[in-house]
Amino acid sequence: MEKVNRRTTLKLMGLGAALLAAGRGFAQQTPTADQLVKGKDARILVLSQRPIVLETPFALLASQPERTPKELLYVRNNVDLPGYNTVEGASLEGWTLEVGGLVDKPFTVEAKELLSLPQHEVTMVLQCSGNGRSLYQPRPSGNPWGRGGVGNVTFRGVRLKDLLAAKGAKPTEKALFITAHASRQGNAAEFVRSVPIHALEEALLALSMNGEPLAAVHGGPVRLVFPGYFGVNNVKWVAKVEFTEAENTTAEQMPRYRVPTIPNTHLPFLPQEPGSRYPYSFTNSRPNWLVNVNSFIFAPLEGQTVEGPYVRVEGVAFNDGIVPIVSVEVSTNGGRTWHQATLERTGRSYGWVRWRATLYLRPGEHEVMARAWDAAGRSQPLDGNLAWNERGYEYNGVMRVRFTVA
Amino acid sequence: MRTLWLSFLATGLGLLGYLALGQPTLPEGPGKDLVLAKCQTCHDIGLVARERLSRERWDAVLDEMALQGLKVTPEERAAILDYLATYLGTTPPPPPPAAAAPAAKTGAQVYANCQGCHGPQGEGNPPLFPPLRGHAAKLLGTEGGRNYLLLVVLYGLQGEIQVEGQTYNQVMPGFAWLTDEDLALVLNHLLTFGAPQGFRPYTPEEVKAARAKPLTPEEVHALRQGLRLP
Repeated sequence: MEKVNRRTTLKLMGLGAALLAAGRGFAQQTPTADQLVKGKDARILVLSQRPIVLETPFALLASQPERTPKELLYVRNNVDLPGYNTVEGASLEGWTLEVGGLVDKPFTVEAKELLSLPQHEVTMVLQCSGNGRSLYQPRPSGNPWGRGGVGNVTFRGVRLKDLLAAKGAKPTEKALFITAHASRQGNAAEFVRSVPIHALEEALLALSMNGEPLAAVHGGPVRLVFPGYFGVNNVKWVAKVEFTEAENTTAEQMPRYRVPTIPNTHLPFLPQEPGSRYPYSFTNSRPNWLVNVNSFIFAPLEGQTVEGPYVRVEGVAFNDGIVPIVSVEVSTNGGRTWHQATLERTGRSYGWVRWRATLYLRPGEHEVMARAWDAAGRSQPLDGNLAWNERGYEYNGVMRVRFTVA
Repeated sequence: MRTLWLSFLATGLGLLGYLALGQPTLPEGPGKDLVLAKCQTCHDIGLVARERLSRERWDAVLDEMALQGLKVTPEERAAILDYLATYLGTTPPPPPPAAAAPAAKTGAQVYANCQGCHGPQGEGNPPLFPPLRGHAAKLLGTEGGRNYLLLVVLYGLQGEIQVEGQTYNQVMPGFAWLTDEDLALVLNHLLTFGAPQGFRPYTPEEVKAARAKPLTPEEVHALRQGLRLP
């Protein structure tokens, strides 16, 4: 076979690009993210059009290490409210919120009334519990998330407990869970999630995100946010909040969004034979509630070529916010030895903490790994697959990035 | 030699582009139409087409879908499971069934794509999905209605509509991934739900021409709002 020289390669690349462009022209049936959701960046990956599921490409996520803007933030909708596919805010006018169940004084509140109550702000990691799913082997069913089903955002709104206090209402002793229902306007499907009553401490009825009215596609006008909890628990377009004795029994609570556990133990999960089935029940599994310890490498990016010999490696780390992240370590020899990275700040946080390390590396190919530890001694497995579960939740295996030092 | 090599690579790149950008569709096989009919009621068919799971895992997925509202008879469930495990399994699927009798496809077969929402007899499923029986006739009897019906099937619809005094506000996906022939067949099948006197059947050429100017589901909605429906 003839050797392909540089010019031929360039010609072929041009040809390929032209074909791709032509493909986009006739592949009208595959819309881009901005066509599906007004105001989203066109480069966001479309994992599903109905319901809308959009993943932030990792390089874009890494390009905004402080705060994830609404144009880039991932979307995992289980329900699509008609007319809500936009990053603009939704009207508070006419939106009501019902608070009931095991509470001494049930009430209904107009959403716009929330604006007159004390406002509270929290920066937190919003992460789909299926984030990283495609790294499990064999790949579980569901949206094939890479690592871009995550973002760091600032919500602002009224604390649920402040609203209860303002209305003179108190959950009864029997109330063990907070069960939130999304609006069913436009015949939307049912979406209900329950979290432990402990979450009431930080629960926020969010009205804004990153200083702007909460985007309709992200749950505006009102989203019930639980800092430290996986995305699915943060019910969008919240219409009803109930205090209940038990977890809700709809499919989003069981069998979906759960991982196997041994009943009455405190292990984070019950290891599974990859590829096997599991008979999920309320007693042999637990919901995807608190976010597990995780870290991402934002630089260098996979496949990059960087200047040496001093190479800056940086990224973010986070957990459920119950205890601080105390250290992030990086390794360039497959985990035999680890260097301490510098953390941007210490202390508890629901948001991610940035870290960086400078490594001395010879020219050539390298692979860097990063792993976070928190004050409760929790860390990430070197092999994420040991947490394999059939729906592919809660992946937090150590991230590895291959790059070249020039 | 070089030309041959170039054209080979060009085809390869074109194929890659197609795979990267095209709507995933299901492989041919017995049960495919049933899968399309049942799954597309609630979500993209792409969610199904991209999976490669063992029979055991597909069985679990079907259980989960039943919890989410999937309604199937035991026979339908078995047929769906057979299809999924065979054509979207962990091993490469068998070659498509030999074209023993290349029986001409009928509009009723293509309609399997629609019946999950609009019902086997076009009776609809209020308040989620509007009926086609009777309503298709009204559309076709309206000025511009013929063209609208073609575009809504091709590009889908998003927005609130009124049909027989009932409000509907679900998203309808477009079916642009069907061939021109299939689309003409299914459109003509809709005529069996009622058509005005002397109606001219749709042709594949007409469908092809309609692809020249793609519309968004919202644009199709605007077009519908412009119709003077009785």
